[in-house]
Amino acid sequence: MADRTKFLESIRHRTRRGRYKPTKSPDSVWTPGVDRPGREEIEDPPARFIEELEALGGHGERAESLEEARDYVLDLAREREAELLVRWDVGYLDELAADEPLREAGVEVALWRDLPGLREIAARADIGLSTGTWAIAETGSLVLEHGPGRGRSVTLLPPTYVAILPADRVLRAVPEAIQKYARGTLPANVCFHTGPSRSGDIEMSLVVGMHGPGDVHVILIG
Amino acid sequence: METSKPARRRDTEDRRREGLESKVEGFNERGRKAVRDRKLHDSISLFTNKTLTGRNAQLGAHPDAPELRERAYRTKQETMANLDYYLSQMADAIEERGGNVFFADDGEDVVRYVGDLARRCGAKILAKSKSMATEEIELNHRLEEDYADLGLEIVETDLGEWIAQLAGETPSHIVGPILHMNKERITEILSGVSDEDLPPDVESLAAFARKRLREKFLNADIGITGANFGVAETGTICTVTNEGNARLVTSVPPVHVVVMGIEKVIPKFEDLSTFVQLLSRSGTGQKITVYTNFITGPRGEGELDGAEEFHLILMDNGRSKLLGTEYEEALYCIRCGSCLNVCPVYRQTGGHAYGSTYSGPIGAVITPLLKGDKEAKDLPYASSLCGACTETCPVGIPLHDLLLKLRNRQVEEGMAGRAESLMFKGFERTMKSPVAYKAGAKVGRLMQKPFAKDGSIEGAPGIRGWTDFRELAPLAEKSFRELWKEGI
Ligand code: SF4
Repeated sequence: MADRTKFLESIRHRTRRGRYKPTKSPDSVWTPGVDRPGREEIEDPPARFIEELEALGGHGERAESLEEARDYVLDLAREREAELLVRWDVGYLDELAADEPLREAGVEVALWRDLPGLREIAARADIGLSTGTWAIAETGSLVLEHGPGRGRSVTLLPPTYVAILPADRVLRAVPEAIQKYARGTLPANVCFHTGPSRSGDIEMSLVVGMHGPGDVHVILIG
Repeated sequence: METSKPARRRDTEDRRREGLESKVEGFNERGRKAVRDRKLHDSISLFTNKTLTGRNAQLGAHPDAPELRERAYRTKQETMANLDYYLSQMADAIEERGGNVFFADDGEDVVRYVGDLARRCGAKILAKSKSMATEEIELNHRLEEDYADLGLEIVETDLGEWIAQLAGETPSHIVGPILHMNKERITEILSGVSDEDLPPDVESLAAFARKRLREKFLNADIGITGANFGVAETGTICTVTNEGNARLVTSVPPVHVVVMGIEKVIPKFEDLSTFVQLLSRSGTGQKITVYTNFITGPRGEGELDGAEEFHLILMDNGRSKLLGTEYEEALYCIRCGSCLNVCPVYRQTGGHAYGSTYSGPIGAVITPLLKGDKEAKDLPYASSLCGACTETCPVGIPLHDLLLKLRNRQVEEGMAGRAESLMFKGFERTMKSPVAYKAGAKVGRLMQKPFAKDGSIEGAPGIRGWTDFRELAPLAEKSFRELWKEGI
C-alpha cells in the first residue's frame, strides 16, 4: 500500500528536479484566422434552448403557466399509457398540482421519499418528473442538482422523463452554468443532462434510450 | 458468468507461439495483417470519418476554440508543475466530504484495494463504466484471478465495452471500443449469451443489452468508474457519457470507487469549462455529451440515492516518471481519441495492432513511456510523422515531436537496427543544417532511382523496415527550393 506522504514526496521531487519545462505553445494551426466565426449572441435563450433540445431528439415546450404544464404532463401520461409516475418531492411540483388529476386518470403517483422499495418504484415507473435548477441554451442541457427529495434515479430509470422549470432559469452557455458552481459548496451530485440517452457503439447507428430515458421533455414556464 | 478468461489465455498462448514475450511487441506483424483486412477498414472509416466531420464542424464553429486550446495547455502545464500540491488538495477536499482516498503506485495496488473492499462489503456484482485506467491495469481479469474465492461478477456497462468483454477482446479505440466489429459479429456475440438467436438489427441488439445490463445496475454492490477530470479544489469527479451508464453506476450501487490516473487532476472547478467544451467537441463532435456528471463525495445528508461510500484511487502506474522530463506533455492528454481518428497509420491498422490499451499516436507515445522502450519498441515507428495528430490535439500535445524523441532515444540506447539508426542520426543532423539538407536531397534523389516505382519508394536498403510498412514519397526531381531559384 502506497503511503500518501511518500507518494506525494516522490512526485514533488520529480517536478522540482526536472529540468525540462514545456515552453512550446500549442501548434499554430489553431491560431485565429480571418475566416473565424464571430461570437454569436443568443438573443432569446429559452427559444434557443428548445431548438437545441429538439435537434437532439428531445421535446421542448414553452408554457404560460403551471396549469398549462400540468395539462401537458396529463396528456403525456395518457399518451404513454403510464401506470406509475415518480416525482421529486419539492415545492414547485406540489404547486404543479398534478398528483390528484393523474391519480384520477388512473396513474399512480409516487414521491421520492423515504419509502420501502423506493428504488424498485423508480425502476418500475413509466415516467419520472423533476424540476431543473438551470438550463443551458447553447447546448439544450438541463442542470440537475440532487439532494433530499431530489433523487438521481427519478431522472434516470423511467423511460420517459419530464422536467419543469421557469423560463428565466435558462442560461446562455456552458461556462455560465459551470460558473454557478465555482464558488461555495457543491451538492454531492450535479448533472448536465442533455437530451435523450444514446449510444452509437453498434456501427455508429444511433440508439436512443440506451440506459437512461430516451423520451425527454422539458417545459419552460413563463 | 460471461467473462473472458479463456480468450485471455488464448491470447497469451498466441503470443508465446509467435515467440513474443509481451503483448505490445510485434506491431509490424499485426499491422501488416490488419492492413489487408477490408472489413476492418470499412469499420474504421465509418467511425473515424463520421467523428471527424462532427469534430471539425463543432470545433471549427466554436469562436473560442484557439483560446480554449491554449488555455487547456497552460492549465495542464501549471498542474503538472505542481502536481503534488493539487493531488493533496484534492485528497483533502474528498476526505472533508467523507470520502476515502487511496494512493496507488501501480495496478497491483489498485487490484488489492478494490479486491479487499469487495471482500469487506461482501460484494458479488461490480458494475463498471468505461474506464481506460482500469483497462490499462486489466482490473477485471486480475480481480477475477486474484480474488477467485469471492466469485465476483464484474460487468462492463458501456454497450461497446460490454460487447468487447463478452467477446474477450480489448477496446480498439479510446472512444469507440468496438468500432472494429460489424453488426453481424455483434449479433453473434450477443446471441451467444442470449437464450435465443437475436435478429441482426441495432434496435433489438441494444434492447437486449439494455435489459441485461439494467438488472446488473440495480443489483450491483459496487460501482466502478474512471474520471475524465478530477477537480483539486472541490474534490469533484467529472465523467462524461452518452448512454448514462456512468451516471447509473454512481447513482444506484451503495459503494462508488473511482480509479483515476494522477494526470487527470485540474486545479479549479471553473477549469472544467475549458475541458468539457474541448473534450466532447473533439472526441465525438458533440457540443456536450448527454450526461456530464459531477460527483463530489458520497451522498449528502437526507439523500436517498447515490453511493453511501465513496473511494477515490489516485493511480500513478508509471506516470510520475514523465514529470519534469521532455515527455511531460504526454500527460496532458484528455483521451478524446481525435489523434487516432486522423492518423493514417491507425486508420490502416486499427487499434489492436498496437497491442496496447492506448493506440494511435498517443498510444505510440505513452506505451513506451509507461511500459518501457523494450516492450514497445515498434510503436514510435507506427507513425508517418505527418503531424496530423499534433494538429488535431485539443490540448496541443506535440505528438509527432514526442514520437521523434522516442525514436531518437531508442537509437541512443542502441535499440534500433543499425541502418535505421544511421539514417536517423543522419536525419537529425541533416534537418539541423541547411547545407547538409540540400546536399542530402540531391544524393537522395540519385540514390532513390533504382527503388522508386509508381510514385513511392520500396525496398531501398537501410529503410526496408520502414517502407514495408509506410508509403515513403520519393523526393521530387527538383526541390521546391531549386525550382524557386530557377524562377519556376
Ligand atoms: S493526445 Fe490529444 S488528440 Fe490524442 S487522445 Fe489525447 S487529447 Fe485527444
